[in-house]
Amino acid sequence: MQGYHVEKRGCGIKKCLKSIIRYKGLIKYSKVIYNNYIIMIKTDRLLNKPESNKKGKKMKEIKRYSVLFTACLCLVFPGCTKKKGGAVDITSFPREKTMYLAGVQWGDPTTFNPLDQNPSFPVWFPSNLMYEHLVIHNTLTNKIDPLLARLHSQTDSVISFVLNPAARWSDNTPLTSIDVKFSYEIGKRYEDAPYGYIWDYIDSITVDTIAEGEGKAERVNFYIGKEEDNPLAILDVMIQTVIMPSHIMEAKIKECNNDFSKLLQDKMDKDPVVSGPYTLYVYSNEKVVCKRRDDYWGVAVLYQNRLPKPEFIIHPIYKSNEHASIALQKGELDFSSDYMPRIWMKAKAGVRTWYSSAPYFVPAVIPMITINCTRYPLNDKAFRRAMAFAINYKNVNELAFDGYSPDVKPGIILPFGIEKAYYAEEDVQRHGPAYNPEMAKKLLADAGYTSVLDKEGKLDYMINWKGERIPTLYIKVPTGWSDFEAMVKLVTKDLRAAGIDVREGACDESLYYQSQMVGDFDLFMDTPAGTLSPSLPWSRFQSIMSARNWRPVGERMTENFGRYNNPEEPGYNTTVDSLLRIIPALSDEAEKIQAYRALNVIFMQDQPTLPLVYRPEYFFEFSIKGWTNFPTEENPYAPPQSPCFGAGRNILWEITLKK
Amino acid sequence: MLKKYPTTRYILRSGGWYFLTFLVAISVNFVLPRLGKANPVDIIIAKHGAGKTQHAIQVKEEGYLKEFGLVKLDPDGAIVRDADGKPVRSSLWSQYVSYLGMCLRGDLGTSFMNYPKKVSEIVIEAVAWDFALQLPAIILGWLLGNILGALAAYKRGVFDYLFFPLSLLVCSIPFFAFGMLLKYQFGIVWPIFPTTGGYASNIHYSFSWEFFSNASYYYFLPFMSIFPVLLGGYAIGMRSMGIYELGTDYIRYASYLGIKENRIISYVFRNAMLPQLTGVALNLGNMIGGALIAEIIFSYPGLGTTILKAIQGQDYTLIQGTALLVAIMIIAANFTVDIVIAIFDPRVKAGMAGA
Amino acid sequence: MKLLVNLLKLPTFVFSVGLLLLTIFLALLGPFFYPIDVISKVGPPYMAPNAEHLLGTDNLGVDMVSLLIAGLRSSLYVGLFAGIIATAVGTFLGVYAGFKGGWIDDLINMVTNLFLVIPTFVVLILISASLTEGRSLELIGIIIGCTTWTWTTRSVRAQASSLKARDHIALARVNGAGTLKLAMLHILPYLLSYVFMVFIIQVATGVAMEATISMIGLGPFDTVSLGIILESAMNNDALNDGIWWAFIPATVLLTVIVFSLYTLNTSMETVFNPRLRK
Repeated sequence: MQGYHVEKRGCGIKKCLKSIIRYKGLIKYSKVIYNNYIIMIKTDRLLNKPESNKKGKKMKEIKRYSVLFTACLCLVFPGCTKKKGGAVDITSFPREKTMYLAGVQWGDPTTFNPLDQNPSFPVWFPSNLMYEHLVIHNTLTNKIDPLLARLHSQTDSVISFVLNPAARWSDNTPLTSIDVKFSYEIGKRYEDAPYGYIWDYIDSITVDTIAEGEGKAERVNFYIGKEEDNPLAILDVMIQTVIMPSHIMEAKIKECNNDFSKLLQDKMDKDPVVSGPYTLYVYSNEKVVCKRRDDYWGVAVLYQNRLPKPEFIIHPIYKSNEHASIALQKGELDFSSDYMPRIWMKAKAGVRTWYSSAPYFVPAVIPMITINCTRYPLNDKAFRRAMAFAINYKNVNELAFDGYSPDVKPGIILPFGIEKAYYAEEDVQRHGPAYNPEMAKKLLADAGYTSVLDKEGKLDYMINWKGERIPTLYIKVPTGWSDFEAMVKLVTKDLRAAGIDVREGACDESLYYQSQMVGDFDLFMDTPAGTLSPSLPWSRFQSIMSARNWRPVGERMTENFGRYNNPEEPGYNTTVDSLLRIIPALSDEAEKIQAYRALNVIFMQDQPTLPLVYRPEYFFEFSIKGWTNFPTEENPYAPPQSPCFGAGRNILWEITLKK
Repeated sequence: MLKKYPTTRYILRSGGWYFLTFLVAISVNFVLPRLGKANPVDIIIAKHGAGKTQHAIQVKEEGYLKEFGLVKLDPDGAIVRDADGKPVRSSLWSQYVSYLGMCLRGDLGTSFMNYPKKVSEIVIEAVAWDFALQLPAIILGWLLGNILGALAAYKRGVFDYLFFPLSLLVCSIPFFAFGMLLKYQFGIVWPIFPTTGGYASNIHYSFSWEFFSNASYYYFLPFMSIFPVLLGGYAIGMRSMGIYELGTDYIRYASYLGIKENRIISYVFRNAMLPQLTGVALNLGNMIGGALIAEIIFSYPGLGTTILKAIQGQDYTLIQGTALLVAIMIIAANFTVDIVIAIFDPRVKAGMAGA
Repeated sequence: MKLLVNLLKLPTFVFSVGLLLLTIFLALLGPFFYPIDVISKVGPPYMAPNAEHLLGTDNLGVDMVSLLIAGLRSSLYVGLFAGIIATAVGTFLGVYAGFKGGWIDDLINMVTNLFLVIPTFVVLILISASLTEGRSLELIGIIIGCTTWTWTTRSVRAQASSLKARDHIALARVNGAGTLKLAMLHILPYLLSYVFMVFIIQVATGVAMEATISMIGLGPFDTVSLGIILESAMNNDALNDGIWWAFIPATVLLTVIVFSLYTLNTSMETVFNPRLRK
């Protein structure tokens, strides 16, 4: 019969056939059981709709998985609720009360303990937002500005500071000489505390009181060490030493049973006792937030009863430079100290710098190629000088540094700013190398070096006058440091064009650091004396040319990695070290100028390193979309420094909101 | 004895090999960083030691060496010195033993570079972001990829012709470039989405709706930079397997028998799914630090960049700790997939019973 | 061969081979038609494309087209190197594991898992740190090859173990053929087509991985490759300033290479596996 099919129930053999017949031709039958008979009645044609069923199946799977997925999310997100720092009641920071700055903190914040050698922003030593220093070195005026104390007097034997009697900690205890002595003597108590090396330069610290205004004030006297006789180095360390609350720290030391490494494990990130205008509020791996202290002691006595404008200072932590650049252009970031290429293209996005045209930034340090003066042929003065003549400095500046450097002059004294007095143009003209590849080739030839070219006319290798082949020299530079890499690439090109067999020796960062101190390199790219300090330019000469702690290759040196001027060698120049010794103690300006000039001439004649460009210590770029009235060349009320460093801190008081 | 339970036997055997792999992996992860020429303590000293006196540096170095167990200590805790007065480095074997001991205790040690942070602390802080970014992308990619691939396999025709080359193209674009182009187009040229960070700079972590919605807004671009590639990969795999299965004899036989279409399709996809599972296992296992590229491009929080920096800075403990976790995850994922296959794939049981 | 004729009938095959050959010719023969100069500065940094320099310059003022052609050569070279190594190692291990079965299979499986677990970057940095020449293209090729063979092994093993059950193997064994002879004469020929397709995928993987490794900063020293071009574009923040010529051409080249290889693979699949044909 059409339409249905009947059979007897219970025929086991035919059981499987039944299911087949039931779906034969994809026609659905309804099964009706009646009296031991099974009647199959044709119902509707099952259309070929695999998708809908598939969808159904998939829907089930999807439902199953989404439940699983939400379960996972619920497991995962609680991990994000870790709160750090003190009690947080504000979780959203209003834009008009916040300054966003970047460029100081790279990587996750680790600790806020001022005794650690590398604490995070804002405890890191150049910063005086939380913990302050005795005085500030104003890099614009080259003067010592007062902070917790003021420079009272400096003689040949003692430097004295008068503490400001108004200085207080956030728990309202006064900041006294006990805190100062503690902070300086911690380096004596524990050898691996930071700043302990000030004791190489001072003999003792004494405290007395003098009359100040209507009352008394404490005076702290640093007795200049007779052996070293180096007040410049003392000032350098003083700019860096933060003053810590002795009552808090002594209690912690007692808790840790005098074990310094245990003390370092304390992160000091919860409601720390500070003296500065800001304190740590909350932090995570993505940012550090500081909150203003309205009861900061300096409001009345240093800033004419004014509070700093931003209530919060937030330092977002970026994983690369370009994010800071994007944020600055969008106006999400107010200030950055990072290197930003092509800064002039960003001006239309509201990004400004100190100078409104090239070089845009105020240089202070000199990246250079350090030469290992113990290796042949780098121990030959003529070879080094030839290298200095072969480099196209203008090119390096334009291509590797975006033109951010003024024209570089020979020698290592900056021809402008604070060091201008010591710079002598005639010395430079007479002794200094300039870009002149012909001169380079001539010097090489005179010294007996011949460059052997290959078939295509390119440099193959060099031989000396004896006919011995000279090994290829490598300039070590860490991969990933793109500006250094670009400079080294260009320098290598120039040197090879002049016939000097040098190659780029890119290496990993770890190897780069490791090889510096022990002298395991031919040449490497570095910035010695990379911080602005009161002892410039002496510290630059010291870190490049000092042979006082000379060690052979393989043992560690902490300065003069190139091992210039080996005291054991017959060619040892005693003038260098004696000049380096006497300059810090000189007070007569004319004598200083003579001494520096002499040192600079020796440098230009011996060329232990190859200075390449001038570079600021930190870059200084800001956005006018959030806050205005940052200092610039036209309005230099503060130096071009990050608002968390040194005298740059004054920026926080002077900026105004953009309307 | 276990011949009656082939599945159990299979699982035990498989588990045994995985455990062995785990042990070897731990040892390899210990040895590898130490084979490098550079020593993490030397690097830290070099980075922060300029200008200090020789003696200060020596004390600093010895402090670190002691802290990280790299030198021999006498019973009082002082450093054992040799004839020159230099500290005697502890042998590789004793370091290894202490490393194993610490692992069993669950203590992964302290990071060199991020001193004094502990490795476990570093991992816990960041790993949630890795999971949050990759897990939904993998699961959604897998689901949608399978569906689309199955559709392409079944329907062929125009859909297949369009879809297949498109997904191939998406898979061919280098990961990095795709993310950077997304960021440029949708973050800078058309500033629709934020390009930096996991959440806005002006809010802080909280278990609130505001935080989650903000985080989801920042989540979109990084998610879209990894999702299409995963989707394309799974879709292609599923399509190939699907086409292969659809052409097999038993499927043809089943259709001749007149078995319902969607039942046939369920057979097909059940069989095609198994190789896909192994792919998922690999991706799931690599989740820790696997979003390195998205992290760099979008400055997204996560472990990837931390691990990379640790490798570059020869931070032994951090490398060991994270490599250990990655090893555990990969092995766990593979093992789980093996179990699932053992339960659902009758060929395994047959293989075990016959062997 | 009849196989080749069959292949040429497919439009996808022709398309992908054409694309691939185009890139190879560009890399190998390009220097004959266009002066390659990756050293001299020919203009200001990031000069826009103009008539003389079709794709402008990079951040050091070097002609972009030269860089691209030189980079193309290096990338293809690394890809090929890595592909050969990965395929050779993977096939050998896969055939051996699939064919022998038993505990050798488990052992090789364990080794495969081990290699999955070992972090590639650690190995890369370690080995390059201990060689004075640092990371060369060959070293990167070797390391990529040695870390990506796992996929090949798994796939080949699956095929080999399914072949194991076939009759002609049993016959050959009865005849007294040793394992190696069995593998070479009886299994490998069946696998050749499969291995070739796997090889194509491995080359594609090698090229893509080289780009990724270079972009992270672990690329070859002192050479130009497509990954290095992308890395320097990223480091110099080029794309965000709208300097597209530093970034897009290299991306396009990479995509074209990988895409053509993948398409080649699928088109060959259609021929070798008749069920995949329409």
